[in-house]
Order: sequence, then C-alpha cells, then structure tokens
Amino acid sequence: MQGTASNNAPDYRVITPHFMIGAVVILLAVILLFFNPDSLTSHFFNAHLLALTHLVSLGWITMIIFGALYQLIPVILETRLFSETMAIISLLLLITGTILMTSSFWYFNFGFPLLAGGSIILFSVILFVANLLGTSLQSEKNTIEKKFIVTSSIWLLLTCMAGLTLAFNFTFPFLSQSHLDLLKIHAHAGLVGWFIQLIIGVGSKLLPMFMVAHGMKITPLKIAYPAINSGLIIALISEFFVFQAGVITGIILTLIGILSFLFFLVDAYRLRVRKNLDPGMKQSAIAFFALLIPIVLILLIFAKQKLHTNFITIYGFILITGFITSLILGQTYKTLPFIIWLKEYRGKMGKSKIPLPKDLYTDASVLWQTWLFTGGFIIVATGVMLLQNLLIQAGAGFMISGLIIYNFNIFKIIFHKSKN
Amino acid sequence: MKTFGSENEDRIYLLLKGVIDPELMVNIIDLGLVYEIFFDEKNQAITIRMTLTSPECPMGEAIQEDVMQRIKTDYENYDIKIDLVWEPQWSTSFMSDEAKKQLG
Repeated sequence: MQGTASNNAPDYRVITPHFMIGAVVILLAVILLFFNPDSLTSHFFNAHLLALTHLVSLGWITMIIFGALYQLIPVILETRLFSETMAIISLLLLITGTILMTSSFWYFNFGFPLLAGGSIILFSVILFVANLLGTSLQSEKNTIEKKFIVTSSIWLLLTCMAGLTLAFNFTFPFLSQSHLDLLKIHAHAGLVGWFIQLIIGVGSKLLPMFMVAHGMKITPLKIAYPAINSGLIIALISEFFVFQAGVITGIILTLIGILSFLFFLVDAYRLRVRKNLDPGMKQSAIAFFALLIPIVLILLIFAKQKLHTNFITIYGFILITGFITSLILGQTYKTLPFIIWLKEYRGKMGKSKIPLPKDLYTDASVLWQTWLFTGGFIIVATGVMLLQNLLIQAGAGFMISGLIIYNFNIFKIIFHKSKN
Repeated sequence: MKTFGSENEDRIYLLLKGVIDPELMVNIIDLGLVYEIFFDEKNQAITIRMTLTSPECPMGEAIQEDVMQRIKTDYENYDIKIDLVWEPQWSTSFMSDEAKKQLG
C-alpha cells in the first residue's frame, strides 16, 4: 500500500476514550441544567453556570477536540502523531482537572481545589500543545489550515493561563480589573481563539471534502486568519485596559474573519457535487446557522450597553450549545464510525461482504438526535430570553433525549465488532 | 461501457466497479479514481494507476486494500501493484454521470 494519509492514524485506543467521556459529560451537563434552570436565569456570574460552562468547555468540547485532532492532525498534515503516550497522559490530566475545577465552581469554593484543578488542566494543555507542535514540525506541509490549527492551540494555552490567573486572583486578589471584565477576556480567548479558530482550521479542510467540493478560492481563509487573530488581540487588550473603541474595532475585525470563513463555506456548498447532505452534515449545517445568532447578539450587546445580562447568557449559550456542540454532535458521525470501521475491517476488505461505516448506526437515530437537540436548545434559549425556568427545563428535557440517542450511538459504534 | 483495452483489463475494470469509497458510497470507477490498468500476462503483473479524491482522504488505505483484494480474487498468482498518483489531480469532472446522480 502506498503512503496515504490514513496510514498515519494513531491507535484507536488513544481516540475512543475521548469520545466516550465527552458523550457522557455533555449528557451529565444538560441533566444538571435540567435540575438547576436558574443557573441560566440568574446573573451569568453564578456558581452553577461557571461549573456547567467549564464542564462543557473542558469535559465535552475540548475532550472531543483533543480526541478528534489526534486522529485528524496526522491525516491533514500527512505525518504520524508525535507521541501517543503524551496524548494519554494529557487525557488523564484533563479528566482529573475538569472534575476538580467543576466541583470547585459548583460549590463556589475558590481555594485550593480550584487552583489545583486549573494547574492540572494547564499541564494537560501543555502536553497537548507540545504534541501538536511536535507533529506539525514533522510535517513539511505549510497550509492555511495548519496555521489555524497551530495558532488555535496557542490560544488554548493562553486561555488556560488567563483562567488560572483569574483563579489566583479570586483567592489572592492582585488585579484591579473587575472579575467580569477578566472573565470576558478569558472566555473569548477560549471561544474564539481556541474553539472557533480550530473549527475553521479543521472545517476548511474537511467540510469541502465531505461535500465533494472543489475549486473554492482560499482568499477568504487568508483574510480570516489575520483578521481573527489581530481582532482578538486588539479586543482583549482593549478590554483589559477598558478602552471601548479598541474593543469594538477588535470585535469588527474578528467578525470580518469569521464571516470570511462562512463565505468560504457557502462557496464550497455552492460548488459541492454531493447534493444530499447526510444526517451528520445536516446537524453541522444547523450549527452554522446558529452561529449567526451570537454574531448579531454581540453587536446588539455593544450597541445597547443597557441590555439585560440574560442577552450575554443567551449569547454564550447559543455559541457553546447551538453552534459548537451541534457541530461536534454532527461531525462525530463523520469521524468516529470511520475510525472503528477501519479498526474492525482493515484486512477484510474485498474478501467478503462487509458493512460500510454508515451501517454502524442508523440515519434515523441521528435525525431524531438532531431534531430533539435542536428543538431543545431553541426552547432553552427562549426560556433564558423570557426568564422562564419551566421553559428551560422543558428544553433541557428535549436536549437530554437527543443526547441519550447520541450516547447510545457512540457506545454502539465504539463497541461494534465484525461478525467474521 | 468504458474499456481499458484487453479482455483482462476490462475484466479488472469490472472487478474494480465493486470497490466502494466508504465515505461517498460510490464505486471508484464511477468516481474516476482509476486512471489506467496495466496487465502484463507474460510477467504475471498487474498495475493499477489511480488517485484519491484528496491526498488527505482518510479512507485511502482502505480503498487501496479493497482494490488489491478484489483483483486477487480472480488473479491469485499475479503480482498486483498500485501506482498512486496525484497528477492529474482528481476533480469532480472525472466523475461519471452515474456517480453524480448517486450523490444527488
């Protein structure tokens, strides 16, 4: 067999624990939301919302991204993963750190457990970033996707360092800025610098591949990279020094970058040969529509400074749940079944009739998952807007139903065994 | 039916119609991934010059393995090789109408 990207994939046992833990964590997080709907209707700086946000950001989103990247980076960069051992140690540290940090927030205990949790997560992230940089240095490819992915990992490191600084500041105050301003800096370094930029890096390579789209112009991506990074740096530094004009300039630059990426995606969608989107891609399409809401909301929040704080909660909720979580839920079906299928059927192809990766789950179950989860998050967002706890609980109920299907599918796929 | 020349090359062509891209669920002949089939009866060698939809195709290895196994079923004693090339670069224009129809 000649050298192809798929030859570089790491052992599946490095990848699958991330998916299993992530799936359980997001289900657990929404169950906690169901029993604590006021976490979304109180001021956003409350113990339960801090705990839930970190549980979802670290235990679900970052967990799945780590796992998926260990599989995708060797494919995209056409080289082997620098170290599988580092990946496993990073996973163990991420689990421990997330448990400590989340429980500290939940009980509003900003002492030693929070500092320990934050430090352990920082070590986990350092290992991840070193692994990513080590892998990237092995590769001669120098593409725009690589720039996005590597830079996003640096933003993750900065996010964690800023978070740990905040945690120290809670216990031993030394910064004059308000916690809320510092929290915004920490949150946006993570949401935009890490999550969105990573999604752009991976998505600009994979989404056109899944849609069988060729011939897109990459100019929008070349605009997006400097726009997002310079915009984010300007916005965050200005926020730190309470310089409003700088914040707005930074936000506009960042939005230009994000919109450029969306323009690239629309171009790929227009040029696609594969007209029928499979269920995983349908949920991903919903995610990109959902991204438009926080884009409008951030402008509204800055245009009308006196908006109720629940607008900020809705902004964060839709960004994390409607966009990032929906995208991960959909894209799981574009990665995990292929990993397991290759593990089970490598060496058996062409010899006997074997199932296809899509046969490891049913399309109907993914569609149910998509509609239940999407309906649920819309109802929750409405509940937050109207400050109605009952609506939030109803929406969370739908989301839980969708996530139970997701969990069922994840475990069914991972434990799939070939009959031969 | 598109032909590659000799009877054996056409037979291999038909065998390769059974190789399905696991992501797109379309066979590699209709996708236009197979550029040439070389059948050397004298030296009992078969070479398939082919490409993938992208160098980063995560299913590349699986597709190549399937190609080898399919040909082996009818040509057990032959030396089978895959010459994976990136020139000409695959484009959607290489796909047959049937493939485009299957993709919607």
